[in-house]
Amino acid sequence: MAALKTEIIIETRALCYSYAGAEEVPPAVAGIDLKVSRGEYLALLGVNGSGKTTLLKLLNALLIPSQGEVLVKGISTVEAERVQLVRQACGMIFQNPDNQIVATTVEEDIAFGLENMALPAAEIRRRVDQVAGRLGLTHLLRQPPHLLSGGEKQRTAIAGILAMQPACILMDEPTAMLDPAGRRDVLETVKELNKTEALAVVHVTHNPAEAAEANRIVVLEQGRIVADGKPGEILTDLKLLHGLKLQGTVAAELAHLLRQRGLNLPTAILQNRELVESLCISEPVS
Amino acid sequence: MYIGTSKLTHTYWPGTPFAADALKNISFSVGQGTFTLLIGPSGSGKTTLIQHLNGLLKPSAGEVYFDGKKIGPDKAALLALRRRVGLVFQMPEDQFFSETVFDEIAYAPRNLGLDEKKVEERVNRAVAQVGLERSRLLDRHPFQLSAGQKRRVAIASVLSLEPEVLILDEPAAGLDPEGKGNLLNLLSSLNRAGKITIMVSTHHLDEIAALADNLVVLNEGGLVMSGKTKEILARGAELKELGLALPQVTGIMHELAARGLPVSTDIYSLSAACDEILQAKRADQR
Repeated sequence: MAALKTEIIIETRALCYSYAGAEEVPPAVAGIDLKVSRGEYLALLGVNGSGKTTLLKLLNALLIPSQGEVLVKGISTVEAERVQLVRQACGMIFQNPDNQIVATTVEEDIAFGLENMALPAAEIRRRVDQVAGRLGLTHLLRQPPHLLSGGEKQRTAIAGILAMQPACILMDEPTAMLDPAGRRDVLETVKELNKTEALAVVHVTHNPAEAAEANRIVVLEQGRIVADGKPGEILTDLKLLHGLKLQGTVAAELAHLLRQRGLNLPTAILQNRELVESLCISEPVS
Repeated sequence: MYIGTSKLTHTYWPGTPFAADALKNISFSVGQGTFTLLIGPSGSGKTTLIQHLNGLLKPSAGEVYFDGKKIGPDKAALLALRRRVGLVFQMPEDQFFSETVFDEIAYAPRNLGLDEKKVEERVNRAVAQVGLERSRLLDRHPFQLSAGQKRRVAIASVLSLEPEVLILDEPAAGLDPEGKGNLLNLLSSLNRAGKITIMVSTHHLDEIAALADNLVVLNEGGLVMSGKTKEILARGAELKELGLALPQVTGIMHELAARGLPVSTDIYSLSAACDEILQAKRADQR
């Protein structure tokens, strides 16, 4: 397992990207060196406009670097003839499930990427059935996508990527449009895949509770990495987060307010139960 | 009845094998100047209901009321209704079409046939209401703004109609913590200082529940609960059954109460939670 963990899936070197026609505007990505290993679950935080989505698009060759490079399993994303390999290794889930469903039934949608890979029909069938079973979509295979819930649509999109047997899945606020049940559904699916198949995950989110589920957090500001660490370190460092106009988890924020008002609480509170525990044993206010 | 529905039913694709009741026999009303949240899982009918309140859909059965009058099929009356009830769609910035921020916000008042001086007054007032720095932004292209600024421009472009009711569909989706905070302050001040009746459809109750007078809960096209925020959020188990979640701080308060800390559980914001916990701790000390 230790040997597997060091396998680098994605590597960026001095990566820069500027949007065309925006000369006066600073680059959206301004020199990022990042490595993502097999089995890693990385949450990407940052305010709107900090470069999160741009970075994600650079990682699967939807954008090509202005300077520097992106290597996905050793393939540079500038190699136009190998872009298909990059996208098979590193699939993307977008924010709005309705923007990424292309076919008229769930099974055709899952098969879409496989058909583009020109796999034999029997192999496509086998893989569609396998991932559908894996993600609990078997009973929905013949359904038209518009009859699915938001969470089911996102799981269909994930299945379509998984069928291509990727090494990494990129997610751009995949739960923003979902209800709480759909949100849980998608997050549990991804966490499970990350754990059991060592699938690497890069997850852009504004939700600290979602970021707390990752095993590494990278924070961007103006296209640069300004923090990189474990959720327990980053999401409880409210001085850092507030300075970047970000927030910690609700428990961390509430603990911070209470400390400011004179309550004696430990600084490392991240989850609700830790706060509840501390409050029920802590000293009364002085 | 200020705004509401009586036995409203909406059927999509009536008379076909795909006929589906998106709304079933919905009766509710809210008073002028109130702040109401419309919640429910994905596909429960929230967006369909909102579209009825602004006359974008025709009831299959039942009626919609505004300002004591039935919203009829009469075209002139519908036009008047849409001026008084402003609707901000999901991801409203996806619908920008003007070259400058000024033109975007001026679109609606220009369509009212106002002279350019009046139009400018309306734009300036709307821009001030949403808290955008006027001089710097009005000449820019809407796509050059940050996500939070775009969302505020989209709201300003509805406020320039000077509506009496403002209805917003998932208005905080995709915004970072600061953008979300600004949006909630804006909605609160429009409601309290501006006397605008507000309805927000959302999946996420964190912080916004503290602003709301009433909650309306939909499930599978039916109205399942309606009443004061405090009354509805006291029914946490039923909401959970529907796949909905209480505000995170409310969950923390419930856990604290269960552990014997004498705190109230009808707390929906961080600041209220902080006050309540401190009070309970001080009482504990005595």
